[in-house]
Amino acid sequence: MDFIADNLVLLPIATPLVGAMTALLLGRFPRARAYWSLGVMLLSLAFSLLLLWRVTESGTAVVVQAGGWRFPYGISLVGDPLSALFAVMAQLVLTLGLIYTLGSKDAVITYRPFYPLFLLLATGLTGAFLTGDLFNLFVFAELLVISGTALTAASDDRFGTEAAYKYFYMSLLASTFMLLAIGSLYVSYGTLNLADLAARIADKPDGILLAPAVALLLATFMIKSAVFPFHFWQPDFHAAAPTAVSAMLSSVVVKVGVYGFLRMTTLLFVAQAPLIRGILIILGVIGVIFGGLSAVGTHNVKRMLAYSTLAQVGFILVGIGWGTAPAIAAAVVFSFNHSLIKAAMLMLAGYVASRAPVKSAAFDVVTGIGRYLPAAGFLFFMGGLSLMGIPPTNGFVSKMLLFRSGIDAEGYVPLLIIGLASILTLVYVIRAFQLIWWQAPREGAKAKPGGDSLLAPALLIGLVLLFGLWAEPLVSVATNAAEWLLNPALYLAAVAGAGG
Amino acid sequence: MELLTALTVGFLFAVGIFQMLRRNIIRSAIGLVILANAVNLFLLSTGAYDGLAAAYTTSTGQRSDALPQALVLTAIVISMGGTALVLSMLYIISSRYKTADMDEVRGLKN
Repeated sequence: MDFIADNLVLLPIATPLVGAMTALLLGRFPRARAYWSLGVMLLSLAFSLLLLWRVTESGTAVVVQAGGWRFPYGISLVGDPLSALFAVMAQLVLTLGLIYTLGSKDAVITYRPFYPLFLLLATGLTGAFLTGDLFNLFVFAELLVISGTALTAASDDRFGTEAAYKYFYMSLLASTFMLLAIGSLYVSYGTLNLADLAARIADKPDGILLAPAVALLLATFMIKSAVFPFHFWQPDFHAAAPTAVSAMLSSVVVKVGVYGFLRMTTLLFVAQAPLIRGILIILGVIGVIFGGLSAVGTHNVKRMLAYSTLAQVGFILVGIGWGTAPAIAAAVVFSFNHSLIKAAMLMLAGYVASRAPVKSAAFDVVTGIGRYLPAAGFLFFMGGLSLMGIPPTNGFVSKMLLFRSGIDAEGYVPLLIIGLASILTLVYVIRAFQLIWWQAPREGAKAKPGGDSLLAPALLIGLVLLFGLWAEPLVSVATNAAEWLLNPALYLAAVAGAGG
Repeated sequence: MELLTALTVGFLFAVGIFQMLRRNIIRSAIGLVILANAVNLFLLSTGAYDGLAAAYTTSTGQRSDALPQALVLTAIVISMGGTALVLSMLYIISSRYKTADMDEVRGLKN
């Protein structure tokens, strides 16, 4: 047990990595590979829950100095309240994604590297949240990008490769930006450890290359989470990916950027935070309007949900932009809840597509198919309520917290705009529901038997309702995280104090 | 030496960005590769002392910082993997559409 306690931050990253390697060895046994991967994910989820529990219990960060190097010299892995919560969010959704995969009939799932790549996606995502070193963050983000690209490029969708190429091109560009930022920070401050870097930036706020580094990091995270001017790859990419993968990409993978913004404004660039926050509010508001309007005008359920992600990330950015403790807590709760909702909705869209006469999520094809799929209709309706923010779902909790924190922070103009723009959510969700479940099917159109399993979306909708009716634990963890974030001295002390 | 490094990095950036903006998808991919190399050179130069001193020598005196060299090694490996993935996807796309013109690859436009 000592081993687990000492390496608690490392385990959620290392377990899926080792699992990916061993899953490759099980190449000749597809069922064994699938269940092995699920077991690995469940174990990893258990570790990250344990990590979250310990962080919440002790009220400080759990830190491992990798390789036993003393504090500023090595790579620190830091599980603080925010990163532990994000790691749990990622692993929870990824586990449910694997459950969906088990019941899916896509051809891509039978490829040997599918499960190993999925587990590498989990490694990259968890690692990006739990690392305390800027260059390490870059490496994990690359791992995430490469596995996500490969999974999409092999998709059953004809345009998978094109969409993946588009995403990968943008992501390589983003990683060039990030490397430039890393070089600029290193030349100005001589360190890349986040805690050390934060202390030195606070000490000497006039580093020669600080301003370009801030701008480049901002651009990097904007590309990563598809914020408005850099969003153009996102709908194609999320719509073309295999269902189980797109449910991950559109829910948890975009949160890497959100995590980056939170770290930038509260830890690294506290002095520049007002400017960054101003930019985030403006871009968030534009994202909410633009994403909502685009979602209303799409011809494909998956594309609609991808544009909806653009809008929902906009809400989160506005919360980060207000920057008060309740607003940050609201942004964190919103991120968590949105991951659950969006994963569930995309899985349901994928399920409907798998039962459609031609495998496609285009509205032309799926119109009226819902008549044969009442259970999916119920789940989609609950998910839709949550996306709109209507009780008793968790979407209501996140929107309420966000709007209330906006009143506290006196950000009335953005609040008014996003409040009005959230009506767009109502429009596009109702439109999709009406087209699929209320309209009469076209002549001869009938749902195919078989199709994907509904277990994973049902579990996710269950969680959506659970966190809607019993929101208190999540909200208290998020509030705790927000207070921790607004006092960066705590982070510095926890990382510097941990022995090698 | 600093001037030469700076000029080289700047030139590679210019060439890379120019190629990235071309309509030919293969040219734009090569532009990205050049850009990645420019960044690697920039990263290397952040730790160089005069660009001539080695990181590890037995002799005393000024040495270069070893960390950027480790960083750049990682970055090179990652960008090599990225290049391989980009080129393989380009191969699929260009053989499917029988063209390398970006405007002809219109499967996702609807």
